Amino acid sequence: MTDTINQLFTGLSIASILLLVALGLAIIYGTMGVINLAHGEFVMLGAYTVWLLQSQFGIDLLTCLVFVFLIVGAIGWLLERTMIRRLYGRPLDTILLTWGIGVMLQQAVRLGAGAQLRYVKMPEFLTQAVSVFGVDQSAYRIFILLLTVALLFATYCLMFRTDFGMRLRAVMQNPEIARCFGINASRVYSMTFAYGAGLAGLAGALVSPLKSVSPDMGTGFVVDAFMVVVVGGVQSLLGTVVSAGILGQLSGVIAFLSNDTLAKALVFFSVVILIRFRPQGIFAMKMRRG
Amino acid sequence: MRTSVMNARIIGYAAFCLIILAVPLFIDDGYLLNKLSRYLVFGILSMALSISWGYTGILNLGQAVSFGLGSYCMAMALKLRTIPIQTGANGLPDFMVWNNVKSMPWLWEPFHSYAFAICAGVAVPVVLAFLLGSFIFRARVTGVYVAIITLAMLVVINLLIIDQQRLTGGFNGITDLTTLALFGVEFDAYSPATYYLVALSLTAALFLGLALISSKTGLIMQAIRDDETRVRYFGYDVASYQNFAFCVSAGIAGFAGMLYTLVMEFASPTFLGVPISLSIVIWCAVGGRASLVGSALGAIVVTGVQGSLSETPAFLDTWLLIMGALFIAVVLFIPKGLVSVLDFRLFRRGRRRETPSARPAPGAAAPETGRHASAALPKKFRAG
Repeated sequence: MTDTINQLFTGLSIASILLLVALGLAIIYGTMGVINLAHGEFVMLGAYTVWLLQSQFGIDLLTCLVFVFLIVGAIGWLLERTMIRRLYGRPLDTILLTWGIGVMLQQAVRLGAGAQLRYVKMPEFLTQAVSVFGVDQSAYRIFILLLTVALLFATYCLMFRTDFGMRLRAVMQNPEIARCFGINASRVYSMTFAYGAGLAGLAGALVSPLKSVSPDMGTGFVVDAFMVVVVGGVQSLLGTVVSAGILGQLSGVIAFLSNDTLAKALVFFSVVILIRFRPQGIFAMKMRRG
Repeated sequence: MRTSVMNARIIGYAAFCLIILAVPLFIDDGYLLNKLSRYLVFGILSMALSISWGYTGILNLGQAVSFGLGSYCMAMALKLRTIPIQTGANGLPDFMVWNNVKSMPWLWEPFHSYAFAICAGVAVPVVLAFLLGSFIFRARVTGVYVAIITLAMLVVINLLIIDQQRLTGGFNGITDLTTLALFGVEFDAYSPATYYLVALSLTAALFLGLALISSKTGLIMQAIRDDETRVRYFGYDVASYQNFAFCVSAGIAGFAGMLYTLVMEFASPTFLGVPISLSIVIWCAVGGRASLVGSALGAIVVTGVQGSLSETPAFLDTWLLIMGALFIAVVLFIPKGLVSVLDFRLFRRGRRRETPSARPAPGAAAPETGRHASAALPKKFRAG
């Protein structure tokens, strides 16, 4: 029983990080059809921002989160404004462009902050273990889980309860008609991109105390997050959540039975097989597109 | 009309091949020849991507998988013949002894034969590509999704190779290889023989590719790139053509991988890392994705510049920044690559008289792909 709860919890913990990374990716892809390969670098930038703020100004992790969201979001906004928007309608080329941006961000960080691994302290009060159903769990992981749920809720409210969300959904469904109704689609695009980037930055900030921070830490995240998006289907919050849960648990279990690498490989092969039969993902929304 | 363009192209390709074949006549420096052979191997690799990406519209971000697997096949065969073998019993390679492997793994057994190894170097990548292709193309997965899946495959296979240390030497790869000797010729990495082998392979690959893209199959491939749905309505089995192009590209890349082992004298997991796969896409994009010789030249020029720049310390660190910037600039401003700038001048007269479908090289390619992919993909994935 203890083992099962432990295992479930490991899976949930993996899933929550996956979800944070994938959420931004799914929103960006769903809205503007851009596959953002620089997403992993946004995660990395988030982690480095925390490291910088912590080592230079001694700001603690929780306060950092706000700054990280704003800073990485602003970087995303800037990239969208200057480069990515030139390529709407050339989806295959946006992959190349964002890949190029990713390489440059990675190398810039490597030059600026050094290639060595960096470490980030987690907040004092989250270092202890907490007992859940009689099993000791790391308080920090529970904190990540709760924060993910909170962010998910915030994203839901943003999309379905605010004026901006309504415009966003309109642009998702049909940008031309949305424009006819006076929605400034290009503004929606850049705000969405910034929001997605900000979420990725938060994910990076949250994992930074758990993993060592290095310039190439993003690559692994982005691939896993894409698997989540592919399985969940784009444009469906629920799909992203459920598929992050499934993939997180699956990785956790297989990693427990053998090792992390095999877990990754098996998850990948299952995703390829799944794609053969449900290319639109498990939770594809029915949606008309002009 | 079409033949005149075709002839001009053949002449251009032949001139390019003659130039690269003539190089050893003027260079007597083993080190330099070795470097040039490396660039030419990258040329083959980049050209292979051009077949799947530039001509069929399949952006394969995991091209390095085929390259790396080919390279490992060759390395395994050469490793088994290393003399003296620093091992205990049965000629077990040294890294296996360090990893406590007691007897030769069955996977390694057939690699005692060169013939098998060379066939495997092409066949393994092709089979893998075929299996993956059967899944994704039959499911009508296109465009960006193919890119993501191939990228994921690259990461997974790279991890697997590092993880299976007992079979593959893990992080260190397979080192300390003997030199290949075939038909009485010894292919030392620094000898003209290896250079000629690589240059001839590039020549063969270019003309093979040219024959393919000018054939009817090649035309259908290009039609699929421009408008997949329309080709499907004509009754062609789009998935088979896509898979075919994907496999041809993988086979050529596997062959390039084998050559790379000869040139570098080792095989390593970095050969199928994300950085090299990214580089292949960059070379191809910079040179001209829809031109075989253009993409090959792109690889040779970019790696050549990289090779000379990285010798100065100032550029060692900034190289990736420059490369990234160059890539972004090409994607934004000359999506058809540098060759389109040249081609425009050379073929300006021939182009006007041509029928659009007969013209595979730069032209209508990129904007068309973009328009249709953006229209077709959301339908595929959003209509549910």
